[in-house]
Amino acid sequence: MPRVDSRAKVMGKAKFTADLKLPHMLVGKIKRSPYAHARIISIDASKALALPGVRSVVTGKDTEGVKWGVFAYTRDQQFLQTDKARYIGDEVAAVAAVDEDTAQKALDLIDVTYEELPAVYDPMAAMASETELIHAEYPNNINIHVNIDTGQVDENFAKAHYIREDTFTAPEESYFQAEPYAVVARFDSDDCLEVWCPNGGPHMKSKPLSNSFKIPLHKVKIRRIAIGGAFGGRSEICPADYICALLAKKTGCPVKIEFTREENTIATRQGHAMITTHRTGVDKEGRVLARETTCYMDGGAYSSTGPIATSVPFLSMEQAYRMGSVRYNGYRVYTNKPIRGMIRTHGRGFACGLDTQLDMIAEHLGIDPVEMRLRNSRQPGEYTSTRSLVGSCAMDETIQKAAEKSGWTEKWGKLPPFHGIGIGTNSVQTGFPMGIRGGSQSFIKFNEDGEATVMSGVVDNGQGNENMLVQIAAEELGLLPEDIHLVNADTETTSSDPGSYSQVSTFVGGQAVKNAAANCKAKLFEVASKILKVPADTLAAKNRMIYVQDDPEKCVPIKKVVRVALTNFISVNAEGGYWPKVDMKREWVSNPYGQMCEAFSFGTTIIEVKVDPETGQVTVLNCVACQDVGKALNPLVLEGQFEGSVAMGGQGGMLTEYHEWREGRCLNPTMLDYKLPLACDMPPIHNIIVESIEPKGPYGAKEAAMSIAMSAAQAYAAAVSNAVGVYMDSFPVTPDKILAAIKKKK
Amino acid sequence: MRLPQFNYTGPDTLEKALDLLAQRGPDAKILAGGTDLLVRMKKGLLAPKYIISLKALKDLAYIKQDKGTIRIGARTCLADIIASDLVQKEASALSTACERVGAATIQHFRGTLGGNILQDTRCFHYNQSAFHRSGRQACHKDGGKICYARDESDRCNSTCQSDGAAALMALDARLVLASKGNERTVALTDFYTTDGIQPFAMEPNELLTEIIIPVTNGKSSYQRLAYRSAIDYPIVCAGVLLKADAGKKDTIGEARIVVGAMARSPLFLAKESAELKGKLLTDTKAFQKAGNGAMNSASTFAVHNVGATLEYRCAMVSEMIIRALKEAAQAIQA
Amino acid sequence: MEKIDLTLNINHKPVEVRISPNDTLLEVLRDHLDLTGSKESCGEGVCGSCTVQLDGKPVRSCLTLALEAEGATIRTVEGLADGDTLSPLQESFVNHGAVQCGFCTPGMLMTADALLKENPDPDEDTIRKALSGNICRCTGYAKIVEAVAHAAHPQDQCPDCASGLKSCCKAKE
Repeated sequence: MPRVDSRAKVMGKAKFTADLKLPHMLVGKIKRSPYAHARIISIDASKALALPGVRSVVTGKDTEGVKWGVFAYTRDQQFLQTDKARYIGDEVAAVAAVDEDTAQKALDLIDVTYEELPAVYDPMAAMASETELIHAEYPNNINIHVNIDTGQVDENFAKAHYIREDTFTAPEESYFQAEPYAVVARFDSDDCLEVWCPNGGPHMKSKPLSNSFKIPLHKVKIRRIAIGGAFGGRSEICPADYICALLAKKTGCPVKIEFTREENTIATRQGHAMITTHRTGVDKEGRVLARETTCYMDGGAYSSTGPIATSVPFLSMEQAYRMGSVRYNGYRVYTNKPIRGMIRTHGRGFACGLDTQLDMIAEHLGIDPVEMRLRNSRQPGEYTSTRSLVGSCAMDETIQKAAEKSGWTEKWGKLPPFHGIGIGTNSVQTGFPMGIRGGSQSFIKFNEDGEATVMSGVVDNGQGNENMLVQIAAEELGLLPEDIHLVNADTETTSSDPGSYSQVSTFVGGQAVKNAAANCKAKLFEVASKILKVPADTLAAKNRMIYVQDDPEKCVPIKKVVRVALTNFISVNAEGGYWPKVDMKREWVSNPYGQMCEAFSFGTTIIEVKVDPETGQVTVLNCVACQDVGKALNPLVLEGQFEGSVAMGGQGGMLTEYHEWREGRCLNPTMLDYKLPLACDMPPIHNIIVESIEPKGPYGAKEAAMSIAMSAAQAYAAAVSNAVGVYMDSFPVTPDKILAAIKKKK
Repeated sequence: MRLPQFNYTGPDTLEKALDLLAQRGPDAKILAGGTDLLVRMKKGLLAPKYIISLKALKDLAYIKQDKGTIRIGARTCLADIIASDLVQKEASALSTACERVGAATIQHFRGTLGGNILQDTRCFHYNQSAFHRSGRQACHKDGGKICYARDESDRCNSTCQSDGAAALMALDARLVLASKGNERTVALTDFYTTDGIQPFAMEPNELLTEIIIPVTNGKSSYQRLAYRSAIDYPIVCAGVLLKADAGKKDTIGEARIVVGAMARSPLFLAKESAELKGKLLTDTKAFQKAGNGAMNSASTFAVHNVGATLEYRCAMVSEMIIRALKEAAQAIQA
Repeated sequence: MEKIDLTLNINHKPVEVRISPNDTLLEVLRDHLDLTGSKESCGEGVCGSCTVQLDGKPVRSCLTLALEAEGATIRTVEGLADGDTLSPLQESFVNHGAVQCGFCTPGMLMTADALLKENPDPDEDTIRKALSGNICRCTGYAKIVEAVAHAAHPQDQCPDCASGLKSCCKAKE
């Protein structure tokens, strides 16, 4: 069915944060450090404050200087720096003024005196550096070290028939959400803070704001707003959120901050640059016996989701493939560059490296790459290396179906020169342990006309979560989608939800709504059973009617049941919740073992390309994207996710997207110079949905929007390698690298 | 992003426009489609006191054949050039070049030929926001004394990325520059200063009004390379014009080879062009030699400032020249 | 700086505004007139989110001076529907799943609408080329292209529609 939110969007009526106008609203702007590493000696705002139209100027002195962090043990970031700036873009001051021109003028009038410090720009240099640490508490500038060791690694290497070690690199990439970041904040007459901003989970924003302003959670209202994409980059609190609220507090007026495209690129989050070394040992059949992986990640100036970011690249691969015994050392290192966070194609170098290495091993052993995947692929009922039990898993089916649709057997090894075909497979966890915020709760109320209002904390970043909730509620309640009104992603009225973070919205949020609806239905059936004079367990609900399953003519409209209930002082409203059964003792750094989540999705992508041997340019001929989504709640929406994933992870992530730097300064922060895929460059995409019916997911559904981004990246890399006859180890595979590889092969 | 403030005039005759330029020349900028000027103003690269818009000067938009030439008004929009059968037939390099500029919605009536020729030179160290440029010394083009694209360089090394200019130089085009009470015509090859800060040999009180392309029996070709199929400026391009020898139809009588997007202006390669005279239209070895010569010349100028590696761009010079030569040669033989 | 009083013809209605020369059409639409359908995503004429139509041609409103839009027929995404009735193109976008986050959607619609008026029966290559100045980060463009192709082809049933809707393609206006 078409999405419920599409109509407002095609009419241009959907309101995004920057579209909001509130009475007396001021324009806010942030002054950012132009230096990669510098001590802040003094800030003189007097000229700015004297400018007519300026209502407030704030600096670190207006804050308590408290450091914030996603985890208690990663608290390293102030919202306005008090003593030093650690990257070009770090927040140093902010103004609120009557209009944009005045705010910009005021910004330029704020006099900041800096003392530049030596800066470091890559992880290896940062770790070896003898100059001032970026954060005093982190020796060698190492932010996070994740160590996973399942034991027996060296013993199993000794048993291997063939061992390879290869290193793969990829620089950072960026989200480039269509909507640049923006915040609107105001304090109302009850001293409640209201905030609108693109977010990956409003409850992730309300708690830090509650803490920093020392107001109780029930007085922090993060509002629902249309969001122009997140892709993993808008989950944590952003200094702009706090700064905007602070300006609103100081001025007593609503304040709006709109980021430029450049600010969205350098001052929110980016993907990590990574250097990954995989050492893999296999038996004669190509089955992996042992693996040792070391990965250095460029984390930028602050920790962000450090522990998670350092783990997920590894986790996605351990879910996708059996690894035998494995030792993993992931290091997230601080540099004086923009902050890195979780991104949809997280660890493109890592994943592409591992998958490419499987192709290298397959070639050595004379095994077809598809066969190689099948020999190592995850099976249902197995445990991952870090001891998560995998429930539903149709990985093999995705491999086989993708291979069939793409004509793999007819093409592999038989394509003309400089044509290539490649395969990638991946897996994404549907959720992970998130403490008290790991679950979702929903509340459903019936209105007297027999239609329902559903309250849920789930947020929609554009992927269709709102539609998903409406579909689930309607299906469960026996109503039509147009009978459901959704109140969501508003911390005033909705309960805590993990956010569209770790892809849980369907699995956890959807499940919560389904449970709430089931509880409503039970109450409705109680009332209906008395009307129809049948036991409640003989009833079903569909198309606005409650009917006896074996005798559908015996029925009563839901509307009537609601009215009868209300007349008899019976409530048919209900709540429901869902908490994934995960190992609550599992921790990213201190204890990275145990049940990660309840369900994993699996996907395979196969790509066919043609390379121009004179220019190195790549034409993508065909793409087959196949994913095990558990159950397809909305195939149309799912396909849209697959296609977007191919564009982001594959076309962009592997061919054109990367950042270039000069001394911590990003040289391509704009849409002109950072190369996002365009309509004319995309290949035809064939989508195949596989349903393994995950018993724990709502109607069998699980994660569906990220796995293809990863497997597409891997497939693109493999296809180009195949076309060129050289295994590419540096991503993205831009034409210059392809030409160099072709030349080297000659 | 806000534009800085300015005074706006939209003169409705050429005379009035030239009058304004005479008065305000050094403090004024011409606005045609705005895709270059307004973007640079938003980034804080310049803040002209006056903007003189060509919007009302419809008389400066035309494509006509006049004796042995095609005359194109500077304000002609790219879409009209692409749609012109005359240009496609007699100056196909220009047709191709215009087609590759930007994306369709920029071409309609935003991008003009004059604007494309007169777009400022570019560099990814320079074409950045005021914020980006604030934490380090200004570069030459920005009023400072340093070049970030080439260490120790005492001059600006920004790059001319105009598709139109490279194609037109191959076509041996001339430009008509008008000022109050005066008009002069200059060959495009003589129009560049090789100064990255002020790339064009024109006075502040002059207006580009017309582009003149000689119609010959030659065939032209334009080749360019970019990351994506639309939006992007070229990272290397080549324009070629070949004329068959009057007597020996299978031999090159005259060649013009131009490399673009590698230097402060398109580079007309006189030596390589001359060496092709007398060669067969099928002489791929000669084309290869020309390509290599072009590559060597371009390499001395090129710097890493447009997003693709320098090595790659230089290597591709040869490939673009060879492709252009082959296409033009095939067109002659057809 | 002096203010200028203008009358702009927007969605077939004359609208009076008071602007400065350095106000872009996008800023006037969004900030003065609360027509926030047109978006700013890049600010430099690359992404196409600000696309509106001037005399039927799609242009980047972020690079159009408001005062240069005087005298032109300006059409924004808010003018595509007829009251509450979506245009066939808008319906096609909704029914084909061409809208995800929706931020690029207005720009896409204005470009596609202009294309269809000039070429009612474009093939896939033509559509992709016409949309190459509109950047989308969510959809990978596939369903947007389908939506444009099917808006131009009135059919009772679209074999390519995963939605399976019989009535997804309506007759042209």
